[in-house]
Amino acid sequence: MRPQGSRVVELKIPSELGYEKIAREAVATVARRLNFGEEKIEDIKTAISEACTNAIRYGSGADARMKVVVVLTADDDKLDILIKDPGVSGAAPPGEMNIPDIKGMVEEKKRLGGMGLYIIRMLVDEAEFIEPNDDDEGNQFRMVIYRIPSDEENKPETGDSGSGKKGGTA
Amino acid sequence: MSDEIQVSIRTLGGVATVIDLVGDVTTFAEEAINQAYQGVSSDGAVNIIFNFRENDYINSAGIAILIGVVTEARKREQKLLMTGLSAHFQKIFRMVGLTQYADLYPSVDDAINALKNGKGS
Repeated sequence: MRPQGSRVVELKIPSELGYEKIAREAVATVARRLNFGEEKIEDIKTAISEACTNAIRYGSGADARMKVVVVLTADDDKLDILIKDPGVSGAAPPGEMNIPDIKGMVEEKKRLGGMGLYIIRMLVDEAEFIEPNDDDEGNQFRMVIYRIPSDEENKPETGDSGSGKKGGTA
Repeated sequence: MSDEIQVSIRTLGGVATVIDLVGDVTTFAEEAINQAYQGVSSDGAVNIIFNFRENDYINSAGIAILIGVVTEARKREQKLLMTGLSAHFQKIFRMVGLTQYADLYPSVDDAINALKNGKGS
């Protein structure tokens, strides 16, 4: 099944580590409906897990009374993922997604961690913190994954319809 | 919400000690993994295989725990090998550079064979 126009799925998960797995399963279902390939679906699952974990841990202090909102927008050509957290720390989100210094970590010159954003950036097409609207508070992190039509999708359609409708795998 | 990790330990023919991990490798797994690693190290293990179950969930916090193990293993001059990872997590481990410090093999048997042939990181 392929969307015609946008389909939006919105989740609210408690800000508690472990609940990111709900977003992970939900995005896999949406990505399958968009006909993404299995490896790309694994990439998307890992990216949303890392983004939600950041939102839970840093954006809402792992306080289960708070919520992290996940908005999945499925279009014909892309999957758009928006993660919103309350931004309780008040700290500005990181501006750069640096390559992790694993050598420094192994040699105990750098603290362990800080790999999540880098992993996300490597797995999706676009990833960035965005300025929330005036009505919104907190942090918003957006990821976009584009569908690449398969050769099958690019074949001109035969028959009467002539609609040029897309299909196939990413 | 987290699938609590189950850790078990076995010794294979005096060649290696295997730490089998079943469940989520996330921040919640830190104590179990470190306890298992410290235990086998106290028992004198030199070649240590972390054997993952293919479709389990691993996140960056879990990878950080493994980097901590790598740090300790280097101090003790132990060899670390990792097996059972899905193609996706093999890619992630390469991406963050963990494979500079621990070789990946499809299965425990493959890792054992590599050790017998003098390979392994």
